[in-house]
Amino acid sequence: MISKTFFKETKELFREGRVRISLIIVLLLLGVSVWISTRQFQNVNAQYAMAKTSERDVWDNQGEKNPHSAAHYGTYAFKPKYPLSLVDQGVDKYAGTSIFLEAHKRNEAQFSAAADQTGLARFGDLTPDFILLFILPLLIILLGYNSFTKEREMGTLTLLKSQGVSNWKWLLGKWSALFMPVLIITLTLFLIAGILLDNLQDFGVFNWNSLGVMFLVYMVYYAVFINIILLISSLVKKSGIALVASLCIWILACLAAPKAASNIAENKYPYPTRQEFAANVLQDKKEGLDGHDPWSKEAKQLEKQVLQEYGVDSLHQLPFNFNAYRMQKGEEHEAEIYFKHYNYLKEQYSNQSNIYRSLASISPYLPTRFLSMAIAHTDYDTHWDFADAAETYRIATQEFLNGNTAKNTQYGERGYKASADFWKQLPAFQYDPPELGSVLNRNTSNMVVLATWLFATFGLLFFTTKTL
Amino acid sequence: MYGGQKALDHLNLNVKEGDIYCLLGANGAGKTTTINLLLGFIEPTSGTAFINQLNVQENLKHTKKFLAYIPENLMLYPSLTAVENLDYFSGIAGKTFSTPELKGFLEEAGLQSEAFSKRISTFSKGMRQKVGIAIALAKEAKVLLLDEPTSGLDPKASNEFGRLLRKLKDKKVATLMATHDLFRAKEVATHIGIMKDGQLKQQFVAGDISLSELESAYLNTMDYKEVAP
Repeated sequence: MISKTFFKETKELFREGRVRISLIIVLLLLGVSVWISTRQFQNVNAQYAMAKTSERDVWDNQGEKNPHSAAHYGTYAFKPKYPLSLVDQGVDKYAGTSIFLEAHKRNEAQFSAAADQTGLARFGDLTPDFILLFILPLLIILLGYNSFTKEREMGTLTLLKSQGVSNWKWLLGKWSALFMPVLIITLTLFLIAGILLDNLQDFGVFNWNSLGVMFLVYMVYYAVFINIILLISSLVKKSGIALVASLCIWILACLAAPKAASNIAENKYPYPTRQEFAANVLQDKKEGLDGHDPWSKEAKQLEKQVLQEYGVDSLHQLPFNFNAYRMQKGEEHEAEIYFKHYNYLKEQYSNQSNIYRSLASISPYLPTRFLSMAIAHTDYDTHWDFADAAETYRIATQEFLNGNTAKNTQYGERGYKASADFWKQLPAFQYDPPELGSVLNRNTSNMVVLATWLFATFGLLFFTTKTL
Repeated sequence: MYGGQKALDHLNLNVKEGDIYCLLGANGAGKTTTINLLLGFIEPTSGTAFINQLNVQENLKHTKKFLAYIPENLMLYPSLTAVENLDYFSGIAGKTFSTPELKGFLEEAGLQSEAFSKRISTFSKGMRQKVGIAIALAKEAKVLLLDEPTSGLDPKASNEFGRLLRKLKDKKVATLMATHDLFRAKEVATHIGIMKDGQLKQQFVAGDISLSELESAYLNTMDYKEVAP
């Protein structure tokens, strides 16, 4: 009976003009969005490869130069566009793509795609994740809002009941008829994305497992939506009311809840303004060692401590250049300050994320969105990871440069220049995003919420259709 | 009971295999309630309904295997063809047939072969009723419940429907038909009952009574008084 109902429903659906038109529109939108995303992905990654190579060339070919001048001259850490961003662009557009690494200062990522666009960018882009998260649930509504109400309105329910229809088999037949077109559309999209990514230059990060898990996440999301739409259709008497109620749920789940979550989170755990943040960092910096200032109280204290440690009376007797050593200690102190202040930002971000998670109980969109972005490496967690890796690299670079000066010069010696081939010895910045396993571990709560949505809506649906 | 009123009162009705029992009565007499009771759509406050010696309330799923139901206005899926509708409703009842077999049922029910693959949305009421009969044939129903099946049918279609019922009678199907149509009842029924206020007021063997006698009995039961022009 399940397969009979499935085929009957499918025939009915595909014989309706509104369904055929909707499916064509969705497929067209998906095609266009994949095409746009692929081009964007290729462009950004070509830019990434070019910028990375040219920046490294500039670094390697500085010629003879003082290492601290090189530290101030700086270099860049570039974030590649990860393969699954082809499906979900997440916050990539708003988070910067490169971080300038220089002495004494931790910089924010800059050159975000959004900054390169006009105010019209507020309207958003046509991306596969937009279709997956917003349009496909709408398609489910369009296909399924009258699943049960039409049986009442047409009068076929009486005949079905007289035939001894088994409610749960009937329900599963209808459910699978709604699920199948969504499954085919999504599977097609993911297969095309997979094949494209398999053949595009992706810096070796793409793996089919991640794509598969992301696909599963979306399938659960659609299953939840199908359950909700069928639940409404089984509870109300008229198709019109079912349509309006289903659209209200869509507005609440996909539009209102994320925006409300964003407002509540920002209100409850606000980020400091850029000026506040910079002022706080400056304040803390003033209270510690400045590598450039040999006369400060902290510098004198360090000098005393080092002389004592090495059992010498003069900085000239040290086996290294104390100026470079102090510079490095100053760097370490500044790095600590940055870690402290960035950790505060992370803490605020984590608190805001908790608000989103708690509101996930009113919207299956939220856990899906977070899981999708996390798997695609386009979420803020990955961006933080990248920024932290860049900072670690910056500190290591400063240590590498100051170490060279300390080793090769005497205290008070000026005008030292490292050899032209020295720069090549600095290892290139390498950032590997978290593995799939660790991404899923970090998102356990989102998976639990989504699974709860799935089982709760299934349970409710079975319960209500029992008495149809 | 409906809203404190007795919808059926001491109704004692027995339809044997091969019988066509026509229930006559005015609107609200309890004809449809009797059918709904046998379908298990409503529960009696007292008393019991049996189908094939099974208590309907206690064996709701099981009794439905034996019966077929055709309401006054049989509604099928308009975007599906006659064959597809028959296939689906047979499937719901747990029966699977090949397309030639399904066409055979439709033919037996008197539907013209050109209509087999046409969508139900193009069908007249009479044609839909024939598909309903085909559903009953495919199900091999032992009991056929009909609620005003000929209302709104033209005389030709109504006559054809009566012919189909006699065909089912030959197959030993027990038919209970609620109707207002005295003429059709007299023509097809083996037994006729007249209901009023939920009670079965009179019963006849159809062959023992003429149409005019049936009409008089019906009018007397309804307390109908002719008004002088």
